[in-house]
Amino acid sequence: MIRVVRRRLAVAVPVLFATSIGMFLLGAASPIDPAMQYAGAAAFSMSEENLQQIRDNWGVDDPLPVQYLRWLGNLVQGDLGWSTSRHQAVTEVIADRAGWTLLLIGITLAVVLTGSLLAGTLAAHRRGGLFDRGVRAAAYAVESMPVFWLALGAIAVFALALGWFPAGGLTGVRATSTSFPDVAHHLVLPVTVLAISQAPWFVLFVRDAVAESLREDHVLAARARGLAGRTVLFGHALRTALLPFLTLVGTHLPELVGGSVLVETVFSLPGLGAVSVQAALGGDFPLLAAITLVTTAVVLTANLLTDLAYTAADPRVRIDG
Amino acid sequence: MNPLLTVSGLTVRFQLRDAVVAAVTGLDLTVRPGELLAVVGESGCGKSVLAHALLGLLPANAAVSGKALLTRAVGPPGPVDLLACGEKTLAREIRGRRIGLIPQSPATALTVVRRGRRLLAETLRAHRRDPGLADQVAREAGLDPADLERYPFELSGGMAQRLATALALAGEPPLLIADEPTGGLDRPLVDHTLDLLRRRCDDGAAVLLITHDLAAAERVADTVAVMYAGRIVEHRPARELFSAPAHPYSRGLLDALPDREFRAVAGHPPMLTALPRGCAFAARCDRVSGACAIQPAGPVACHHPLTTAEAPA
Amino acid sequence: MAETAVTTTTPGRAGLFRRPRFRAGTPVAALVLGVAVGAALLVPMIAPLDQSAVALGRAALPPSLPHPGGTDDLGRDVLHRSIYGLRVSLLVGVVAALAATVIGGVVGSLAGLLGGWVDRVLMRVVDTISALPHLLLGIFIVAMLRPGLGAVILSIGLTHWLSTARIVRSELLSLRTRPFIDAAIAGGAGRTRVLTRHLLPHVLPKIALATTLMIPHAVWHETSLSFLGLGLPPHLASLGNMINDGQRSLLTGAWWASIVPGAVIVVVTLAIAALAARGRDHLDPRVRAELNL
Repeated sequence: MIRVVRRRLAVAVPVLFATSIGMFLLGAASPIDPAMQYAGAAAFSMSEENLQQIRDNWGVDDPLPVQYLRWLGNLVQGDLGWSTSRHQAVTEVIADRAGWTLLLIGITLAVVLTGSLLAGTLAAHRRGGLFDRGVRAAAYAVESMPVFWLALGAIAVFALALGWFPAGGLTGVRATSTSFPDVAHHLVLPVTVLAISQAPWFVLFVRDAVAESLREDHVLAARARGLAGRTVLFGHALRTALLPFLTLVGTHLPELVGGSVLVETVFSLPGLGAVSVQAALGGDFPLLAAITLVTTAVVLTANLLTDLAYTAADPRVRIDG
Repeated sequence: MNPLLTVSGLTVRFQLRDAVVAAVTGLDLTVRPGELLAVVGESGCGKSVLAHALLGLLPANAAVSGKALLTRAVGPPGPVDLLACGEKTLAREIRGRRIGLIPQSPATALTVVRRGRRLLAETLRAHRRDPGLADQVAREAGLDPADLERYPFELSGGMAQRLATALALAGEPPLLIADEPTGGLDRPLVDHTLDLLRRRCDDGAAVLLITHDLAAAERVADTVAVMYAGRIVEHRPARELFSAPAHPYSRGLLDALPDREFRAVAGHPPMLTALPRGCAFAARCDRVSGACAIQPAGPVACHHPLTTAEAPA
Repeated sequence: MAETAVTTTTPGRAGLFRRPRFRAGTPVAALVLGVAVGAALLVPMIAPLDQSAVALGRAALPPSLPHPGGTDDLGRDVLHRSIYGLRVSLLVGVVAALAATVIGGVVGSLAGLLGGWVDRVLMRVVDTISALPHLLLGIFIVAMLRPGLGAVILSIGLTHWLSTARIVRSELLSLRTRPFIDAAIAGGAGRTRVLTRHLLPHVLPKIALATTLMIPHAVWHETSLSFLGLGLPPHLASLGNMINDGQRSLLTGAWWASIVPGAVIVVVTLAIAALAARGRDHLDPRVRAELNL
């Protein structure tokens, strides 16, 4: 266990470090003047002296390595800077919104995993059958649909035409506080759309892995022992096919994060994705950089967790280590 | 005694992309309770296909014909045809309950992520037996119950073999098929496995031993069926066959034994995708004549069988 | 022995050894793609579009014969603009895919040819970027460079070169161990000659295929950015911009303004995917895995 954690950390720390350098360089190369951004509309009425004052305060004109180390030092101390697009400390913005994004991604991941394991296994069980062909055709079709288009279609049908679900937001217009049923009702469409758009890759992977597993010796032997079909399928074929799947879930997470940015935007959810779009429109380097770094850290942590899950699930790794 | 299993005219073909594999052709055999029948032949002659065909475990590109009648213990009177009864009957009535299979290469036949005890308990439960019997069944198969706590990858070849045997015995099947149970084991383990199979027969079960190891067959078999290129070429009581083989191929196999002439049969078996017309052994046979262009039939499938005088002592 | 009375265990399924693929779909896909690309190339010549023309008199009309894709809230023909959008998106997609190929090709060649620490460092960079959410990274790049055509192309190029780099590197590494390269070097061929005469011809076809397969990814990235308002200038008819604009009309019931341009993306992507599915069977599995097929 400890070895797995150590190995992952040995990768994660340089990755975060390299990402921070890369982003800082991009930010430095940007034609955007942070002082102008900070001042906002006031910049036009502000004197050059005042702007210079802001620049001096921030050390914008210091040499790049100095600026980078100062920024990194602040980051490490938990000071993520000032968001020029939201006029708020970056830490506050993230603290307010990260929860909703994690909720959206977490529920979606749970839905995708359960659904794709079930659908993929059943498709593999009756390879070439009606269900298998249906699932595969649907997967290829959905893979060709941009998630935001899918989201707009879902809004058009289920929110506007049928009126079953709200078209956006997290709470009703008149609601003064967040209540669980209200939020759940608002999350149905975004979660479904994100889950469906992410599902093809997972379903096809499970299907192929289980189909292959079904042809292996240990599954034939399990059938030869007279075990029930369900036991053979889930207890033996899926059980062994699951192992490679676990590690691949981790590598697929960045795509899920990208999808959540788009879904949050379409459904006006108050998460990190939507706010990062606003930050991008406003050239808000501190907020964007912080969101990208935090997301990267979360993805790396999730990779570590899937590794640990793999270690727990595979006795060969657990025992031989 | 009435036969437990009667196979007649079993034929198995595999459809490949651009070829047809004639894995088994017109195979007849019977097994009686208490009998140990050894099916012997070089690897790739269709022996394992026979086991999988009887249990309905062949891949989807296989085409099977013929009959394989197995007497039932319960249910409707009369035997059940294994090749026609369908997946449901096979899964619920036959596999593990009426026919137990000790698979070839037990190491890959065990689900690696689950401990022996869980595999055995699960199988006992599937056969409506008390999972607490696991220790007893393991002992019957010669496996130390303590080894049930291990994962399959922690077991030695011999231990995996015994666990696979225990799993096959869990449903107390009256017919046990052992597919190359001695492969990869050293001599003491081979003898142990064979003696275990022999004991099952002596207790009234029937055993179909599929092996390329003639010495193993000689040690325990009551009856021997020699297979060549998907057909049975000689099917006789073991004592007769080992003292006076009638088919030139049988004699060749016997000559290859270390305690006889230790000389392998010259040449190679034919490709199962391109079998010759007539006797498939003709190309390797020193007694070949024009008659061999026609497929021979009978318990000794040869136009020029050896006489007792010609056979090695 | 009645050879004719053979019963199959599972009727009519011999597909065990074959991968499923779009057999009947291939000609259809080629036709669809041909029509789409043809329209994108020819329509501007036959029926040029005035990007800034507005006709409020026929705003938000549902699909009909004169306007098969309906009109948007400014009275502009949705299908006509979608064809223009496809043209822009394909153009951006091709250029960006080429940019990504150049970056990936250079990085992959350096890693594969020089080996040693250069290889290790470059591959670590590749691993780093592949652990990042691409869209977020793309947004960051566009934001720092200010939204626009160049920023979009750079954003795609900088996030999509990883697979090409990996393919080029592993191809070069496997070629280096092949005997004909040793033979060429032993025969006195110089570095450049080995590179241009022996290595390049082996690697180029794979790079070409990788670039082609990257175009839909690039189109998607561009469309996503434009949809978020971070891509091409808003007045320009691009598919992402149109879907973004169409969001407003959705609330008034004019669903076609966003659904039609999206459908164009879906149809073109499906056609490319169907053709790629046919091509991928000829790829070796290593390359296939890199391209995420």
